[in-house]
Amino acid sequence: MKKKVGIYICQCGPNIADNVDIDKIIESVSAFNDADDLEIVAKPYGLLCSGEGKDYLKQEIEENGLTHLVIGACSPRDHNNTFIGVCKETSLNPYLYKLINIREHCAWIIHDKDKATEKAIQYIRGGLRRVLYQSELFENKLDTNPDVLVIGGGIAGIEAALSLADADRQVFLIEKTDRLGGKAATFKTVLPKQQDAVEAIQLKIQTVQDHPHIQVMLNTRLDRIIGFLGNFEAEVRSIDDAEKMTELKIGAMVVASGFSLYDASTHPDFIFSGDDEVYTALQIEQMIAEKNQVTTRSGKAPKSVAMIHCVGREEVGYCSQICCNAMIKLAARFKTQSPDTTVKVFFRDLCLPHQDDQAFYNEIKAQGVEFVRVNRIATEGSQIKFTTMDENEGSELFDMVVLAPAMIPADGTPDLATKLGISLHETGFFQEAHQAINPVATATDGIFIVGTAHGPRGIQATLLQAQAAASKIRVQLIPGEQIVPEVRVSETLEAFCMGCKTCLEVCHYGAIVFDEDKGISVVKEAVCRGCGNCVGSCPSGAIQLKHFTNPQLYQEMIEAVQ
Amino acid sequence: MSTDSKSGGRIPIENGIEQTLRKVLKESLKSDLIDALLLPVKVPSGDSYAWILMQDPALVEEEASPMAAVMPVQGAKALKSLTRKGNGSLRVAAMMRPCEVRGTIELSKLNQINLDNVTLISYDCPGALPLSDMSDAPQDTEEAFMGLLSERNFESTAVKPVCQFCTEFSMGAADVHIGMADPDTSQLLLISGSEKGTAFLSATGLKVDEEPSAWEKQTDSIQKKRIQQMDKAFQTIQPMVEGFDNLADTFSNCIGCHNCQSACPICYCRQCYSDSKESSLESAYYLDKAEKRGGISLPHDRLMFHVGRLSHMSLSCVSCGQCTDACPVSIPVAKVFSYVAAQTQQAFEYKAGKTAGEAIPLKEYKEDELKKIHEMTKSAESQESPHE
Repeated sequence: MKKKVGIYICQCGPNIADNVDIDKIIESVSAFNDADDLEIVAKPYGLLCSGEGKDYLKQEIEENGLTHLVIGACSPRDHNNTFIGVCKETSLNPYLYKLINIREHCAWIIHDKDKATEKAIQYIRGGLRRVLYQSELFENKLDTNPDVLVIGGGIAGIEAALSLADADRQVFLIEKTDRLGGKAATFKTVLPKQQDAVEAIQLKIQTVQDHPHIQVMLNTRLDRIIGFLGNFEAEVRSIDDAEKMTELKIGAMVVASGFSLYDASTHPDFIFSGDDEVYTALQIEQMIAEKNQVTTRSGKAPKSVAMIHCVGREEVGYCSQICCNAMIKLAARFKTQSPDTTVKVFFRDLCLPHQDDQAFYNEIKAQGVEFVRVNRIATEGSQIKFTTMDENEGSELFDMVVLAPAMIPADGTPDLATKLGISLHETGFFQEAHQAINPVATATDGIFIVGTAHGPRGIQATLLQAQAAASKIRVQLIPGEQIVPEVRVSETLEAFCMGCKTCLEVCHYGAIVFDEDKGISVVKEAVCRGCGNCVGSCPSGAIQLKHFTNPQLYQEMIEAVQ
Repeated sequence: MSTDSKSGGRIPIENGIEQTLRKVLKESLKSDLIDALLLPVKVPSGDSYAWILMQDPALVEEEASPMAAVMPVQGAKALKSLTRKGNGSLRVAAMMRPCEVRGTIELSKLNQINLDNVTLISYDCPGALPLSDMSDAPQDTEEAFMGLLSERNFESTAVKPVCQFCTEFSMGAADVHIGMADPDTSQLLLISGSEKGTAFLSATGLKVDEEPSAWEKQTDSIQKKRIQQMDKAFQTIQPMVEGFDNLADTFSNCIGCHNCQSACPICYCRQCYSDSKESSLESAYYLDKAEKRGGISLPHDRLMFHVGRLSHMSLSCVSCGQCTDACPVSIPVAKVFSYVAAQTQQAFEYKAGKTAGEAIPLKEYKEDELKKIHEMTKSAESQESPHE
């Protein structure tokens, strides 16, 4: 059959037209006209992504009866989907179209117009060759399940569960301990402004427990997960009774597994035992929550308190963001309990990010809390030895020592990451899809990370994340609506597969399974994200990625690098 | 798998090393631990060896050449052909050179060999002689090799070029290892490398209670010399490899027979991409290229074949030298591959086939490995003069 390829070059206003000779491109690619096999329709246009531009393209495709389409314009990141959308409204299969980037790759970066034009011509010729090797692909629609599994019953998980359940999504909330609320439920007051939070948090817990759309499963952990956005199957297991396994069908997951504290007793500079008057800030919080006062082990109110910041910060390699404020909050608390208490804060750097923090810090200083900036500090029981920034050495005995250890990933985080197939940041917390642009999503569609599972942060930021993840899920999974899985996915060529299983190891999405009978790898198309890792790892060429097959890439490349 | 504290036992050498070893193997086959042996046997014409799966103890005593002078088919390939589809309940002991054991370990990681019920036996290898020596002068070659063994000569320049600088000539992941480097030439030292190995040695009636420290000292000293040899060899190989023009020169007389790939134990693909129809293009492409360059050689992409193979298998290359033995036009393929493999394996802190537990780099991602490779590339670039 004779092929008829439309090649349309977008001027992109002056962006492309000013620095690339579009007429020359048209002339060059028109030379490929071959009366027998190939007809080229090559034309320039002002702005193809505009409403008029899209209508023009539709008209051109239909009127010329194009069998293939090449567009020379901007980055596929900008408008690939725009033009795929245009094709979908015509008789042309969108996978018989190719967008060539002559703006970022040519017009914008090469100052010499002749050279930019030459490169653009090579690229467009590459696109022309490639598109002739492309194949039609057809999209399928899949039903989705809008229910959600929330992992972790702390304040992050609670907020996510409520935000989803209030929008009529069924939520399964699993928590490994025997109660909801996590660490935040032990706080008497919360930052930044010392509001009493006990009631507010208890109310949230009660709402979760009573909510008709939330099923709370305490003493429960995640065992196994398979599937993809809209269609996950999770197995959760009772921690007390290993026989008790529940299978859940869900469409998305929120990971809110929280944090642990750096173990200060492993630090060589902090020598203390359980009998010493040395506490973590979290232990003081719990003490306040339980009996509304802070006392030493002998039951007396401390007359002098040392507060030591940044315990383990050097070791973990990051600032935990909230400890400075949490410690200042506790310093204030000691002063409220007894204004005569000597409170000394030993810090190296202060992190006061919130707009109310500075005023609070000033207020505490005015109340007589002493801030000592130290270069080095060590404890032996409640005896403190320190060196100030100007190298003066000091040694003092206190009634009580409060440490602010760094926040570290919760126990079991690596195991959970493996089960979920999501990555960890080098600090050991869960890794987001994009730190700045996509902060609550992960590389796996349908799995979100919120709260301190994602890294150190306060309650306010945690709740914002939980609400953000819930909104994302509500938008992505609408009850009754279907989703269109990616069609540019991998497939195995049975005859070539040697069954070495390398592809299974490099697939981050669990999209490849091994057929033991045939001894070959098989791609689960609905799970595959089309990243191409398996293709790159397969020595036999037994896996190919649809729309990015070797011949397609090769044909484009040999033309582009001529 | 090798363990840190090794133990071994000895038997007196009677009627030569080969005959002594045949007896040990025969005993193992008579025990109820081993069903069959996989070992080299001289072919009827006497100028080569073939891998034979043997079940008859009498035949072992008469025919086996457990330490063969040359390596016609890499042992890993023989074992692959036996166990590619699983190994069922067949209990096999395979007698191999250390590089064959390494090839075996690599293939087992790639799911091409099943090591269930397989006992691997290796020995301190003085190096294999070139395959062509054996076909030219079978008897001389065999005598020469037996001479190397009985004299404990690990510095011969008669062995294959890559064998001369092989640093992994001794015990690796084998279950049983024969300490041919041991100073005591009157006895054969057999060392256990695993529980399987200890069971094997006990089945042959050997008492395994000796710490082979003299042997360890000897192999260490040989290895030091081999490392020096390797450094020296790499200095001469480097200019053959680095830079496109040098590499093209090295492979300029390649006839495209792909024997190197067929002989390679690691190349396990059913069909090589370079032989597939996807690798050839329309004639117009070649014409166009010929016009631009003034001429191109055909079949095209002969160098690409080698570069492709390097990129596919150098992380698993065990430097056995089979590729050079197989090359009809005497290209030093093994030297090139061995040199490149040393660099790529170093980049991932990996030694192909050394231990069974270590995942092949392609299957395992470590975040810092990219940084390291980037640094290596940068330092290589700064040493090299820029080329097109």
